[in-house]
Amino acid sequence: MFYPLLAISHPYQGKTFWEFLLLFMQRMGRLSIGQLPIHQLASDEIQVLVLVGVALSSALVGTFLVLRRMTMLANSLSHTILIGIVIAYFLTAFSGGTSGDSLPNMYVLLGASLFMGFVTTFLTAFLTKKGRLQEDASTGLVFTSLFALGVILVTVLTRDSHIGIEAVMGNADALHSKDLFWVYVVAIANAFIFILFFKEFNMSTFDEGLTKALGYSPVFFTYLLMAQVSATSITSFRAVGVLLVLACMTGPPLAARLLAKRLHTTLLYAALFGVCCAMIGVAITRHVLTVYDIALSTAGVVSCTILCCYLITLLASSSCFRSKRIN
Amino acid sequence: MLMCFSASLMGVIVFLRKQSLLGEALSHAAYPGIIAGVMFAGSLSFDEQESWISFFILCGAFCTAWLGIKMIHWLQEKWRVPPDAALCFILSTFFGIGVTATSEVQFSFTPLYRRALSYLYGQAATMTDIHIVLYSCLAFFVLCVVIFFYKELQIMTFDQNYAKSIGIPVKKIDALFFILIILSVVIGARSVGVVLMSAMLIAPAVAARQCSHNLALFFVWSAIFGLFSGFFGNYFSVQFTEILSQISPHARIALPTGPMIVLVATTICILTLLLSPTRGLFIRFCRIAYFQYTSTCENILKSVGRIDPDRSFSLDQIKKTQQISSLYLRWILWHMKRKGWIEQDNSSFFLTQSGKARSAKIIRLHRLWELYLSTYLGVEADRVHRSAEEMEHILTPELEQELSLLLVNPTQDPHHQPIPPP
Repeated sequence: MFYPLLAISHPYQGKTFWEFLLLFMQRMGRLSIGQLPIHQLASDEIQVLVLVGVALSSALVGTFLVLRRMTMLANSLSHTILIGIVIAYFLTAFSGGTSGDSLPNMYVLLGASLFMGFVTTFLTAFLTKKGRLQEDASTGLVFTSLFALGVILVTVLTRDSHIGIEAVMGNADALHSKDLFWVYVVAIANAFIFILFFKEFNMSTFDEGLTKALGYSPVFFTYLLMAQVSATSITSFRAVGVLLVLACMTGPPLAARLLAKRLHTTLLYAALFGVCCAMIGVAITRHVLTVYDIALSTAGVVSCTILCCYLITLLASSSCFRSKRIN
Repeated sequence: MLMCFSASLMGVIVFLRKQSLLGEALSHAAYPGIIAGVMFAGSLSFDEQESWISFFILCGAFCTAWLGIKMIHWLQEKWRVPPDAALCFILSTFFGIGVTATSEVQFSFTPLYRRALSYLYGQAATMTDIHIVLYSCLAFFVLCVVIFFYKELQIMTFDQNYAKSIGIPVKKIDALFFILIILSVVIGARSVGVVLMSAMLIAPAVAARQCSHNLALFFVWSAIFGLFSGFFGNYFSVQFTEILSQISPHARIALPTGPMIVLVATTICILTLLLSPTRGLFIRFCRIAYFQYTSTCENILKSVGRIDPDRSFSLDQIKKTQQISSLYLRWILWHMKRKGWIEQDNSSFFLTQSGKARSAKIIRLHRLWELYLSTYLGVEADRVHRSAEEMEHILTPELEQELSLLLVNPTQDPHHQPIPPP
């Protein structure tokens, strides 16, 4: 998490919180009218853009997760994905495709993670039904064992336990514009799926019986949602680590639930909230680096931001309620 | 080892309260505390004294875990956040704080950074005597409290209202219980690591659940499984590290102990899930297969005996009456031959004396049940067959006697077929 002081002409060097946001807005404006080519983006901008993408897609997915009370399954998915990553590394190492330490092919990574997501969901359901275990126990059992397996495989295969740590914590400073592309592909795919199946998701979330009666399979939507979760976490694991994805999936929807009563508005608020937190988080990291000369982990700061923002929303909404009641 | 011991004891309670994932949230919430402890020790320049550092780490971890649990409760009760979302939210954000603090530690207390990281996945290799004394004291404390409050815990886990009504201070014991969980998580964090600590709460308890129906035994088994996995996990991790260092001496890999312990625990768990005498999957599967086998045997005997017990029959004729694959049928026939129920003459089979007796008995059971249904339960005669098809395999000799007494030694079933005498 050592911050690479890349170029001498780094535009954000020495900027404080507000200056950062201001400059960011200006440069984004220039980007949108085409004055700034994409490959000239500074690393901070890539960070912000990636995090915004992650926050968008995870807020969308997370809203449904929270409403369906499946966040713990998402938690276990984010752990088991490590095995998916290992498999992907393994496959590319055998096919001899990429060189050395660079990331394996994104398709392989995506495929492996989807597979692991499926396996995790299936195993958990299997243990609950066939093994006659409580749901929480089977969830805990499956993901911890798979994760332990993943950690050991990583340590043995790569001779280095650093990847494991990095996958958990994330390393936002090692991003480049290729990650940007994939994050947005997944975000758009998620948005597209939700727009396409909005009615079905809505229905299967709130009334499983009705869904079945109308001839849709609730299981199918569960697996679809899980596939989306694994896709989201795999694209963002390099940027922010799987745990921050989790924070992005639970925090914004919870905050949005306080403010909104309808599903549309909840989704909207959650996305907005996530995006704001991502931007503020990166700005704070830069601010701390400038003012106190301490390089903090961006992923950690963003999740702290989410916590703080959530608490603020809590207090604000509670005082709102109180004033309404008095009136 | 000792750490897993206390964790597995607490795991039983957590498991019975259906809060298995609480451990996950707690262990993650303890992480910022560990880092804070490291930072505090670093800022007071206790770099050398091992015992002080671990003391601070324990304190820090305890505090943040406590804060985390309080926040989860607050969110659930005050704001009606769904419990899983509250857990997930707290664990990820607290861990985020921990990650932030870690980067800070890396920056300002570089020598302590490695130690902070080792708490993620656990590293038992660097432990000294002081650790052992400290941790065994804590584990012993947990054990004592569990034994001392055994009765209260028992009543409270199974029936909260009853506990309240007989005057047990539920709130206080609840708090004590949470303190114990936090303690065991904090103790375990050193060897298993915060990321996987929850497995040590869950896996031994699940394994023990398969073996016992009694709370005391449940505790004992769980503790045994915990100890076992702790010991072998450590052993394997040391062993493999040696092997790996022999293969590649330059790499200096240290296999983390945590994942190894967890893997051992899960292996035990899977084994018990498969093989436990009453609830095991494999055992259940065997029992089903055996029942299927005996039913098929009896069905074959019955279908032969109903037509004519003395006539010989061929493989194809049987195949028409039974809906099973021919391979399985051949295997069953071979078994029946070995039991002396049928004999083979070229390609045709015929019943032996004992086979005939057995066949008559099954037909008798079938028809007795049909008669019972129609006379006592008032079921119409054309509907009793299907039920009798199933019951004929289940009726015991005692039931048969009772039935024949009840029906006064009948000779004819509702379809006017003769009932063979016993």
